[in-house]
Amino acid sequence: MSGRNGLWRVADLPTTEAGVERAFSYFIAGVRLGTIAQMSPAVHIGVATSPDEVAYLACWAAAATAAVAVSAVALVRRRPLGAAGSAVDFALACVLLVLGPLVLASGERIGTWVAFQPGYVLSVILTASGVRSRALWAGGVLGIVVCYLVYLSGEVEGDMTSTAVGNVLTFVVYGLVARMFFGYTRRIAHDADASRARAAELARREEERRAQVMMHNGVAVMRLLTEPGTDASRSLLIDQAEVELRRMRSYLRGRAPDGDVAAAYAAAGSTPSVVLAAMIKRVCDRFADLNVDALLDLGADLELPAAQAEALERALESLLLNVRVHARADAVVVHLDQGTDGSWMLTVRDDGVGFDPASVTAGVGLREVVVGELRLRGLDVEIESAVDEGTTVTISSGPEPSAVRADRDASTGAA
Amino acid sequence: MRTPVAVVDDASLIRESFGLLMPRLGVVAAVATVEELVRRRPVVDVVLLDLHLANLEQQPDVRQGIAAIRALTGCGYRVCVYSQEERRFVLAACIAVGASGVVSKALPVGRAEQLIIEVASGGTVVPQSVVGILEVLVRRDCITLLSERQRQLLHGRARGLTYAQIAKQLFVSESTLRGYWLDLTRSLSDSLRSLTPSEIERALGLAPGDLLEFWSGEATDVKDWWRVDRGR
Repeated sequence: MSGRNGLWRVADLPTTEAGVERAFSYFIAGVRLGTIAQMSPAVHIGVATSPDEVAYLACWAAAATAAVAVSAVALVRRRPLGAAGSAVDFALACVLLVLGPLVLASGERIGTWVAFQPGYVLSVILTASGVRSRALWAGGVLGIVVCYLVYLSGEVEGDMTSTAVGNVLTFVVYGLVARMFFGYTRRIAHDADASRARAAELARREEERRAQVMMHNGVAVMRLLTEPGTDASRSLLIDQAEVELRRMRSYLRGRAPDGDVAAAYAAAGSTPSVVLAAMIKRVCDRFADLNVDALLDLGADLELPAAQAEALERALESLLLNVRVHARADAVVVHLDQGTDGSWMLTVRDDGVGFDPASVTAGVGLREVVVGELRLRGLDVEIESAVDEGTTVTISSGPEPSAVRADRDASTGAA
Repeated sequence: MRTPVAVVDDASLIRESFGLLMPRLGVVAAVATVEELVRRRPVVDVVLLDLHLANLEQQPDVRQGIAAIRALTGCGYRVCVYSQEERRFVLAACIAVGASGVVSKALPVGRAEQLIIEVASGGTVVPQSVVGILEVLVRRDCITLLSERQRQLLHGRARGLTYAQIAKQLFVSESTLRGYWLDLTRSLSDSLRSLTPSEIERALGLAPGDLLEFWSGEATDVKDWWRVDRGR
C-alpha cells in the first residue's frame, strides 16, 4: 500500500518526526478549510447586513484566502508554517478582529457565523500553535485575546458577557491544548526516531558481535595452521578447522549452528539435549597437545539444552585456543562438577603465564565468546588470573552450586 | 647439595643421562631391574621407577609395575614412578600400593626434576587424573575424610588450583596446606588400598570388571598381571 497515493493516507504515514509533521499539515489544512466551510453559508447575510459590504467582503475574502494559503503551504512544505508565516497568520487574525466592529452590524459580533472573525481566529489559534517558537505562539494568542476585547468593545452587555468571557477562555484553553498536542506528539515522534536509531545500532552491534563470536575460533585455528608444526598437530588443527567451517557455513546461511538439530528435535516433540561430559571430552581431545586433564566423573550424567551446550563448546574451545596461543602452560585441568541440586560448575585451569585482568583488555575470545555468549544463556562466568600464576575460568549454572558455597562459607567462618 | 636417587629403567639411555639432565639429582645407582636394586640396596632418598621394565630381548621375566613398587616399598624405599604411563587407573593403583609420587616422562625436564625432589624430601606428587578419582571416591562416600579442611583442599587441588590460590581462599599459609596435602594423600592412599575394584567401579560408574586388569589384590604380586598393552 505504499507509493505516491499511500502518502496521502494518514494510516500510511510513518510514525517518524517527518511523518508527524506531515500529519500536522493535514490537521492544519483540515481545520482551516473546514473553517471556510463553516464561514461560507453566512457570507451573503453578512454582506447584506454589513454597514460596509465591500469591507466585509474584503475581510471575509482575506480570511478565506489566508486559510487556503496556509493549508496549501503546510501541505506543500509537509509541515506547519514557520515562524514568519505564523506571525503573519496571527497578525492577519488580529487585524480582522480589530476591523470587525467596522464591517459588522450592531448586535451581530457574537453568536453567529455572520461574525466569522471569532471562529476564524480560533482556527488560527488551533493551527498556528504548531509554531516552534514559544514566544511567538504566546504573543500571538495574547494579541488575539487583546484584539478580541477590542472587537467586543461597546458590544457586550447583559447576557452576552458570559459568552464573551467563554470565548476568551476558549481561545486561551484551546491554544494551550493545541500547543500541548503539537509538543507532545513531536516528543513521541522524536523518541520513536531515537529508539529506532538505538535499535538499529544495537542490531548492528549484535550482528557484529555474532560475527565476531562465530569467526573468532576459526580465525585462531587458521592462524595456528599458518604456523609451522608437526603432522600430528596440524591434523588436530584441521579437525578443528572443519568444526569451525561448519559453524561459519551455518552462520552465513542465517541459521544458528545447532538450528538443524534443534529443529529435528522440535519436530520429534522433544527438547534437544547434549551430554556435557561427552562434549567436553570431545573438545579436549582436539587439544591433545595441551596435556589436558579432563576430570568429568562428577558430572558424567549432566545434560544441557543444545543451544547452551553449543555456546559452552565454543567457549571451551576459545579458552583452550587461548591456552595454546598465549598461556605457555605445562598442564591444563578441565573439571566438571554437578551438585546434588542439579547445579553444575565447569572449571578450566591452566598453569601458564597468566595475565593481569586490571591492565589487560580482554580480547574477543574471552569477552564475547566466553563471557558474553555464556551470560546471554544464563551461565555465570568468573575469570581469575595473575601474571605467572596461570588462569582459572569458572563457568557455572546461574547461582553458585550449594556445595561450593558451603565450602566458601566454611572457609570464611574458619577465618 | 644433590638429592641422592636411584634410577630403575630398562632404557640405558635414560639411566645414563639422568644425572646430566637433572643436575640437582645425585644418581647413586642406575639399574635395569628392581631385582638388581634390591640386591645392591643403595642408600637414597627416592627410587625413580619406570613402570614397564620387562622386554623380550634383555629381561623378559623381571618384576615390574605394581609388583615392582611393592618390592621397593617393602625394602623401605620411597618410590617415585617416572613413566610414560597415562592410564589413570594404573596411576591410581601405583599410589594405592605405596608410590609416593608419579611423574610423567612427558613433563619438561626442569619441572620433572622439581617434582622428584619434592618426593625425595618427603612430599607426595599425585597426578591430576588420580586426584580426580580420589575426589569422586570421597564425594561418593567410598572414602571418608573427617576434616572439612581436607575436603576443601581436595576440592581445590582437583580443579588444578595452586597451593597459593587455595591458601588465599582458606586463609592459611601455603606451607600449612602442603602439610595438610601430605597427610591427606597418605590417608587417601591408605583408603584407596583398602577398596576393592568393584567398590571403585560402582563409585565411578564403571562396568563390573573394568578395573580388574589394573587393580592389584594382595595376592597378585606376580609378574604377568601387568598388561601394558591392554586398556588403552
